[in-house]
Amino acid sequence: MTSLTKNAVEIHHLVKRFGQVTAVDDVSLSVADGEFLTFLGSSGSGKTSTLFIVAGFEDPTSGSVEIDGRSVLSVPPNERNIGMVFQRYTLFPNMSVRDNIAFPLSVRGRPQNEIDRAVAEMLDMVRLGSYAGRRPSELSGGQQQRVALARALVYRPRLLLMDEPLAALDKRLREDIQQEIRRIHRELGVTILYVTHDQEEALRMSDRIAVFSHGKIAQIGSGSDLYERPANGFVASFVGNSNMLRGRLRGVSERMASVELADGTVLHGLSDANLIHGTQVEIMVRPERLIPSSSRAGDLTSLQSVEGTVIDVSYLGEAVQYEIATRWQQNIVVRNDSRASGLELGASAHFSFHVHDALVFPTQPSAS
Amino acid sequence: MILTLNRMGRGRFVLYAIAGATSAFLLLPVVFIAFLSFGSSQWLQFPPPGWTLKWYEVLFADPRWLASMLVSLKVGLCVMALSIALGLPAAFAIVRGRFPGRAALHAFFISPMIVPVIILAIALYALILKLGLNGSFLAFVAAHLILALPFSVICIVNSLEGFDISVEKAAIICGATRLQAIRRVTLPAIRLGILSGALFSFLVSWDEVVLSIFMASPGTQTLPVKMWTTLRQDLTPVIAAVSTLLIVMTIAVMLVAAFLRRRIAR
Ligand SMILES: Nc1ncnc2c1ncn2[C@@H]1O[C@H](COP(=O)(O)OP(=O)(O)OP(=O)(O)O)[C@@H](O)[C@H]1O
Ligand SMILES: [Mg+2]
Repeated sequence: MTSLTKNAVEIHHLVKRFGQVTAVDDVSLSVADGEFLTFLGSSGSGKTSTLFIVAGFEDPTSGSVEIDGRSVLSVPPNERNIGMVFQRYTLFPNMSVRDNIAFPLSVRGRPQNEIDRAVAEMLDMVRLGSYAGRRPSELSGGQQQRVALARALVYRPRLLLMDEPLAALDKRLREDIQQEIRRIHRELGVTILYVTHDQEEALRMSDRIAVFSHGKIAQIGSGSDLYERPANGFVASFVGNSNMLRGRLRGVSERMASVELADGTVLHGLSDANLIHGTQVEIMVRPERLIPSSSRAGDLTSLQSVEGTVIDVSYLGEAVQYEIATRWQQNIVVRNDSRASGLELGASAHFSFHVHDALVFPTQPSAS
Repeated sequence: MILTLNRMGRGRFVLYAIAGATSAFLLLPVVFIAFLSFGSSQWLQFPPPGWTLKWYEVLFADPRWLASMLVSLKVGLCVMALSIALGLPAAFAIVRGRFPGRAALHAFFISPMIVPVIILAIALYALILKLGLNGSFLAFVAAHLILALPFSVICIVNSLEGFDISVEKAAIICGATRLQAIRRVTLPAIRLGILSGALFSFLVSWDEVVLSIFMASPGTQTLPVKMWTTLRQDLTPVIAAVSTLLIVMTIAVMLVAAFLRRRIAR
């Protein structure tokens, strides 16, 4: 059956084992034409393995990879028409910047005048025109990765893969190049599969994010999907900051779960999962959704509150972050606009939040 | 750093003395032989009673010396070429291969450096006699190649291990075939290792004596063999002249190597 969707990439039930280790464990996803999709996950979660299978450097144990509706598993990597930027610096050390960028066209046997034109255009795009004659060893890390990006795009690949291209750069530079990659994505409309373990980077750049955990996709969705409606406790704690309050499930009605904390406090939160009465659960609340107030929130509104003592205050510029000790022996983090509430160290306060800002998940297995 | 020269006070003069003595120990034979080659004494008297170029005249007038020099040069160049031709694929297999016994294979390729040369010589002699190849050009090349191969394998393995395979992968995803990627990216990147391997291989062959004595026939001799046989007949200062030439040749090769290395590393 030929599909009518305009997906650039379709991955079905991909599995990759290295001996005993299952690096990729039944991954399925599709990437729309022109989409910027990011694999986000901690070290060893299978991001690179998945990317390398798409690139053709590894064969999957099972499963399929289709580009534009055709399986590419039997196509060698050099014929897949894919561009790639690696985590490590991979410019050809014996060639100038210009020759590096020209390389993909030169192996394709394109005429010299066409090569010159394309290389000049790419140098312009990554703003390195004056560096054309330099050797890679004469460039900074950020410049090298921009040349690598130009080299990966000069032949207009169907798909661009980027495996943590900015991991080795410092924060300022990273943000500059993130901007640049975004701009190039907008200008060229190329489909991008991007890998990072930096959630801020993922949120800033991507149309959609696939959160990897132990070789599986824990959730796939837009940044706000992941942040506002995490599918499970892992995603909730991995994407953005969060407080996970441990308690026991008291009951569920109409997606609203009530949870009893260790000290007897009962809180409410939304839940999609099938929760079992009496089991251990976690309530997730984002630090910025906790609002300090002098008194306890009323029972009739959909506001609820927890009480605690400020044990640490950190001034972060645009925000202030408080660490709060609670009566059920679990510290929580509260983050507010720095111009708002000025809570002193040792102060005792109520922190109120909306029931819709609290999500209830089954407790994660403790091994992460 | 605790151990800097400035901090050592007087102690550093001890260090200078040790370094000087070691250098002298290493250089003395070389300097000595060079002096003798220009000395006028027939009996290799030291210090020489007078100076002369006579022994060099004798040397260049004797076609047998020149013939053996030419043999050495040809054998050395052949060994160099073959050592790289075999060492390069071997190094790729050792570094890139994923097969059982890879480490054992690596050790095996290095083993001619460890096996006593005399044992190799006797074994090879028996084989070469049986094949009727003694005294042949081929016998010299084969024998020297055994000793030279470890050097090219070690040099190329080292540089290949220092080369990030991601760079080759990048070339492949850019559209190059495996072979194109190796030819246009990997080989240029490891050319320093290849060059070192080639030079070492040449030098190993150039001054090899033990195997060569077993391979030689009165008709075909390499320079060191010719020196050895001459020495056994009489101790003439011509030997000193030949030795000096050998040393000059070796220094020349090293200088060329250093020059190329600097250009490549640029
Ligand atoms: N060639 C290999 N041989 C054996 N195991 C491997 C190989 N490549 C990857 N693995 C294993 O597979 C798992 C996933 O690795 P992968 O490189 O895909 O992770 P990753 O998400 O890219 O991590 P990182 O952020 O550290 O790059 C890891 O446990 C790793 O040890
Ligand atoms: Mg990785």
